[in-house]
Amino acid sequence: MSMASNADQFKQSFREEAREILVDLEAALLELNENVSDGELVGRVFRGLHTIKGSGSMFGFEELAAFTHNLETAFDEIRNGRLEINSELIDLTLAALDQIRAMLEEGVGEATPADADACASILAKVRQLTGVAGIQPAGGQTAREPASPTAAGPAREWSIRFAPGPDLMLNGTNPLLLLRELRQLGGLSVKASMAAVPPLAELDPERCYVAWEMVLATAVERDAIRDVFIFVEDHCELSIEPATPPTSNSAANRADATAMVLDDPRSQSGGRRTYDKPDNASSLRVPAAKLDQFVDLVGELVTVQARLSELAARRDDPEIAEVSEEIERLTSSLRENSMNIRMLPIRATFETFRRLVHDLARDLGKDVELTIEGAETELDKTVIDQLSDPLMHLIRNSMDHGIEPRTLRAARGKRPTATIHLSARHSGASVLIGVSDDGGGIDAEAVRSRAVEKGLVAADAALTEAEIFGLLFQPGFSTAKQVTDVSGRGVGMDVVRQRVDSLRGTIDVASTPGTGTSVTLRLPLTLAIIDGLLVSVGEACFVLPLANTLECIELTSRDIERANGKHVANVRGVVVPYIRLRDHFNIRTPRPEIEQIMLVETEGGRYGFVVDRVLGDCQTVIKSLGRFYRHVQVVSGATILGNGTVALILDPERLAADAVRLGRQGLPRGHPAGRTVAGPCGKYKSSTVNAV
Amino acid sequence: MGITREESDTTSTIRLEGTVDISSAAELKTLLLEALDSGKAVRVSLEAATYLDVTAIELLWAAEREAIKRGVGFTLAEPAPEGVSAALLDAGFDRFPVPEYSRRGGKG
Repeated sequence: MSMASNADQFKQSFREEAREILVDLEAALLELNENVSDGELVGRVFRGLHTIKGSGSMFGFEELAAFTHNLETAFDEIRNGRLEINSELIDLTLAALDQIRAMLEEGVGEATPADADACASILAKVRQLTGVAGIQPAGGQTAREPASPTAAGPAREWSIRFAPGPDLMLNGTNPLLLLRELRQLGGLSVKASMAAVPPLAELDPERCYVAWEMVLATAVERDAIRDVFIFVEDHCELSIEPATPPTSNSAANRADATAMVLDDPRSQSGGRRTYDKPDNASSLRVPAAKLDQFVDLVGELVTVQARLSELAARRDDPEIAEVSEEIERLTSSLRENSMNIRMLPIRATFETFRRLVHDLARDLGKDVELTIEGAETELDKTVIDQLSDPLMHLIRNSMDHGIEPRTLRAARGKRPTATIHLSARHSGASVLIGVSDDGGGIDAEAVRSRAVEKGLVAADAALTEAEIFGLLFQPGFSTAKQVTDVSGRGVGMDVVRQRVDSLRGTIDVASTPGTGTSVTLRLPLTLAIIDGLLVSVGEACFVLPLANTLECIELTSRDIERANGKHVANVRGVVVPYIRLRDHFNIRTPRPEIEQIMLVETEGGRYGFVVDRVLGDCQTVIKSLGRFYRHVQVVSGATILGNGTVALILDPERLAADAVRLGRQGLPRGHPAGRTVAGPCGKYKSSTVNAV
Repeated sequence: MGITREESDTTSTIRLEGTVDISSAAELKTLLLEALDSGKAVRVSLEAATYLDVTAIELLWAAEREAIKRGVGFTLAEPAPEGVSAALLDAGFDRFPVPEYSRRGGKG
């Protein structure tokens, strides 16, 4: 790999790391805003800024490094107790982070460049607030920075051994700059070991053979020292240990030791120091596109494996059957593994909203705190990527329309600080993401009359509360601000619905007037491959997600007679309503003598789906039905079976809701409006009805 | 920045100018080897250097060892500018340039 592409790669890697640090910085600043006396948080902010500055300068982001240096200086002052933190400085720093982010992304895609005027104005304000005269561009190459005083707390000595690996220089890293950075943490004595330098003729001139042994006297913790090496950790041998000799002796020892270059034969290159890395250093950064490609390939493999299984079943050859089973087992593990790789905790997405809530609260003049629950819940990366927008709209709505102005909250006897609560938890093959507030709640009657006014529903329509709240997500329901804060929760809500629909999710709204509103998004854990149960009705095949399926029982003509024509089954003494897929999809083939009821657990309770036969479980690669069928709510996609035919993947939640709604509207079950299924494994014609 | 070699009857002088880093490391190595191969005393001038990175330092260090092995004089002539010395000290290269070897090299 050429040096140039190496440098690009490391720049990119710095960008990725820096983006994560920026998110953490933002969270730390917002926490700091709540608790200005927390020294640990100040330290965290300082370290984050310091890392961005140091590494930025190392990877050629000079402007970014110089700008960040000024903020770092301010936080160093705070850290050393020479300056008080206040919310104005926090807001300035937050604004500065936006500029740093812009500088970071400069030249990447269509990112907006940093605003030089804004940067200058931020720095001027910081200078004014802090009174720190030294705030000026850092300049990359200052020769010798004085050992700066360190954080409050007892100073201790750390013994640091740093041996660059063979490729460290090639990625643009200058080890001498790392030493300079270390020096900023405290008093540093350095011994360079030349032991590994080979004879001149054999020496690779672009490689660093020098290793360093250092003693650092500092009050910062090991992690902060390690942060200096954060971008080179994979390309060097590094150990950071508390220095064992007592402080009094070590000073003298050091004086002797620094007087000579180490030339210790014991530290020949073969005896290089062992790696000492944080746990996460064993993880690997992979571009998301590569991972998507990998998952696609696994999907293809699953499809081919299904064909093989089908073939093996037809051939009746024990040897082929054995191989096929083995491949099936392996494919299944591969699929699970590849899906796991894509699972990410939702924490980062949730944390970004702290800033939104902070900024909006300030703009709206409301006191709002954001609480987060279940941030460790893992979701498929593709789902997480598309979740930011809908959550942002929901939070904006809560802030803008849900949460009452201060005076009204006081009049209602509510806590002056309102709460927005973000939560995530798993539920079967779905994940539930909640956005709730303790605001004024939704006035269902106001929503209803608004919908009638807009012509979205008939004036005499009988609607449940859930259906009324569902109207909020209809396009064109409301363009917000003209309506009262009680009824006008429509801003961007149709966007929320579109996005959640495209994720094959559902939205549930619960609200109590005067007490608050809670919106729950139910989303599939993954969008790629699921475990399903293959069933058939006539010649059509369907897949039910296995995670929802409880058990399978028989339905005979006698059972039907006993129920007096009602669509209910008796399951060990419990009455369970069932939905005949034959009727629901209007499949006109004769009914078999004995049918099967698949019992399925849904949010609305337990339902049975009546099918002709249960064909067995299958790994199902979900293929989208495309835009043309986007209004078909009860089908969440399609899959290609081993024999090449297509099976529709049913969404039990929506199917049950749809059937209940149709039942209530008194439509004949055999002829639901506009529904037909034709041919084997069905071409599904869109109905005009949308369940919200 | 630049590296030049000048020859006199008894001495081969390598002059380092400006920033000497990884981008010129291969060139420096070649010149050092050529100078050593000439059999004359080697003299490295740091006067016009503003910055030496670690690749330059280790090359000079290895050249000095090579000179000792071959019994050739090796001198780091002229005190390095303060910026360079300070950077070298910061990086833990306290004994560089190496006085006793310089003296020994001076005989050549």
